[in-house]
Amino acid sequence: MSAKPLTGTVLNIQHFCTHDGPGIRTNVFLKGCTLRCKWCSNPESISPKPELAYNPAKCLGEEQCGYCLRDVCPELAIYVAGAGDRPDDKVLINWDLCTNCGKCVPVCPSNALYLFGQEMTVEEVLAEVEQDSSFYRESGGGMTLSGGECQLQADFAAALLEEAHQRGINTAIETASNVPWEFMAKVLPHVDVVLHDIKLTDPERHRKWTGVDNARIRANLKKAYETFPDKEFVVRTPLIPGVNDDEEHVRATLEFIKPYKNVVEYELLPYHRFGEGKYAFLGKIYGMMDFDSPTPETVQRLRALIDEAFGRTAQSQMNQNK
Amino acid sequence: MPAKRIAINFGGEFVPGLNSIITGACLAASKLGWEVVGIRDGYDGLLFPERYPDKVLVKLTPEIMQGLSGTTGCVLGGSAATDPFHVRSTNSGNEVVEVDRSDELVAGIQQEGIETVISVVGPRALSILWKLSRKGLKTVCVPKSVENDMAVTMLSFGFNTALSFTADMLERARQAAQSSHRIFVVEVLGEHAGWLALQSGMAVCADAVLLPEIPYDIKTVAARLREELRAGRNFGLVVVAQGAKPAASAPLPALAQDPKMKSALSPGATEEASRFVIERSGRVADRVALELQRLTDHPTYPMVLGALARGGTPTVVDRQLGLGYGAAAVSAVAKGQSGVMVVYQPPDLKLVALQEVLNKVRVIPAESEFVRIAQAMDISLGVAP
Repeated sequence: MSAKPLTGTVLNIQHFCTHDGPGIRTNVFLKGCTLRCKWCSNPESISPKPELAYNPAKCLGEEQCGYCLRDVCPELAIYVAGAGDRPDDKVLINWDLCTNCGKCVPVCPSNALYLFGQEMTVEEVLAEVEQDSSFYRESGGGMTLSGGECQLQADFAAALLEEAHQRGINTAIETASNVPWEFMAKVLPHVDVVLHDIKLTDPERHRKWTGVDNARIRANLKKAYETFPDKEFVVRTPLIPGVNDDEEHVRATLEFIKPYKNVVEYELLPYHRFGEGKYAFLGKIYGMMDFDSPTPETVQRLRALIDEAFGRTAQSQMNQNK
Repeated sequence: MPAKRIAINFGGEFVPGLNSIITGACLAASKLGWEVVGIRDGYDGLLFPERYPDKVLVKLTPEIMQGLSGTTGCVLGGSAATDPFHVRSTNSGNEVVEVDRSDELVAGIQQEGIETVISVVGPRALSILWKLSRKGLKTVCVPKSVENDMAVTMLSFGFNTALSFTADMLERARQAAQSSHRIFVVEVLGEHAGWLALQSGMAVCADAVLLPEIPYDIKTVAARLREELRAGRNFGLVVVAQGAKPAASAPLPALAQDPKMKSALSPGATEEASRFVIERSGRVADRVALELQRLTDHPTYPMVLGALARGGTPTVVDRQLGLGYGAAAVSAVAKGQSGVMVVYQPPDLKLVALQEVLNKVRVIPAESEFVRIAQAMDISLGVAP
């Protein structure tokens, strides 16, 4: 009898991505995160377990369908408002009663109810990823593990990255690095490019906005820079209005990475509201929805600081942006 | 030694004037020789005692509450966020996790010698309370909602105050519309139930009221406003409930044609499709104002009252209701009741089992007398009468 193959909880596999590592890439999103950033744009990635989502736009309603209302939910979490008095008779989810058991998913013919996250083996993930291999050759791309925090599923991530390397696929990870160092020690040997966040530099402010302070993250990053001098590290800051879209943060981050030659780039990712709708699907409330993205002027001003630190002229950066 | 110790707490979104419920409960309990304590900020007082070094439980007496029943705010605070089944905390591995602390909470309440908790809840907190009552927590609850969307009761605590405030603001909005020669589109609370919009709109004789229960045709609303404009009136007032939706909504853009795996793993997770399902404050007012400006060729102005309706001094109706609900909850405890809600079914206050209220929304019936009266007043509801 063979041993049960190693599996990971995969949220999504996104093809033809161009922002998370070199070339055209396939992003594999793993579920589970150790932070709770208030601006999170992937709320469906936070819980380590599969999670129910509901898209009312796809619901056919009680009269036309109604399968999920017929004793399917053991927790009585699915219901309709009123009795024939509503403009539509789409179902509603009582998220406080739902336990994400997923029993309602197979009975929903329109896919309005579905589960975020499924168990997959390394082989299954790579079969999907390798569909794009011709694009990797042309563009110098590969596979990027993202999340959630992809290093949280350290054994699965390491096995997946190692096998990808075996097959000649360039590998990258996108990480916040708030995991035990042993996890990073397992994963990083199989990674070509490490894209990692520095969200805030002040420990107390980091705790307020993400749930934990940044002491372990900073220690992990320093150790990673020193342990893996041959790997490329790219620092990223999601620029959040009123949180870290200021010169102080960018300067402090530049100071932190200054001693390390293997930190090859510092990218700013202006906050966007793409996550908003997904919060509604999960019955959660997005706490940051009333802010606009940082202005182009702010982003340009902060990028100029980075260019200066990396010894680039503004002109060369403009060409790069083109 | 008091004969019995009961507690009172508040869960869910804030509504004005909650002190009157505490006063009603204190007066009734004191007459029975019982002790009443308050749990701070929902269940936070018991779940996070370190945050309340002075008092985890607050002793409440008629003397303390004297003169407070008509005041704004709530001496105990509230908690819209804490759910004892998913308490966010940091574990020993420096990870943020959600932990189920419900058993600990129920045990803590029993350890404090609290026999029953009187919980003042909105729809969401009701679900949490129901789960706690299944775990053995003895509870009697009181409905509160500024939208009046709690089922079975005719009047939830807080609605009347929100209604008075909203009508007052609409009156002011009309004056502003009149002086600026514009059509004001005012968005008010009401995601699934449009009582606040309908009743306040009727109170100020608005030109149109758009409700979650009745999908609107914007052309019908525009036609109604054009009549007024043609007759020489150069302003208008439209009230829109937060959850109002157009009858023929714009077709959803098709999902990106990604390879099969993506749709299997995370369908609908792209921003293009998702933006149509967000219940976001201000969105309806903007949309309706823009469409009306286009269809009437008259300047419009969107406005959102939103959470402002959750503050202020309670009206006399709410003060009476609060005192009544508080006293009725204590009398239910005295009768040995648990797992019930006090409801107002005129002319009586009655008790119903929590299951009868759970997963129900009190919406405006299509054949409601309110709808007929509004139409008789020539208020457009966005449909042909």
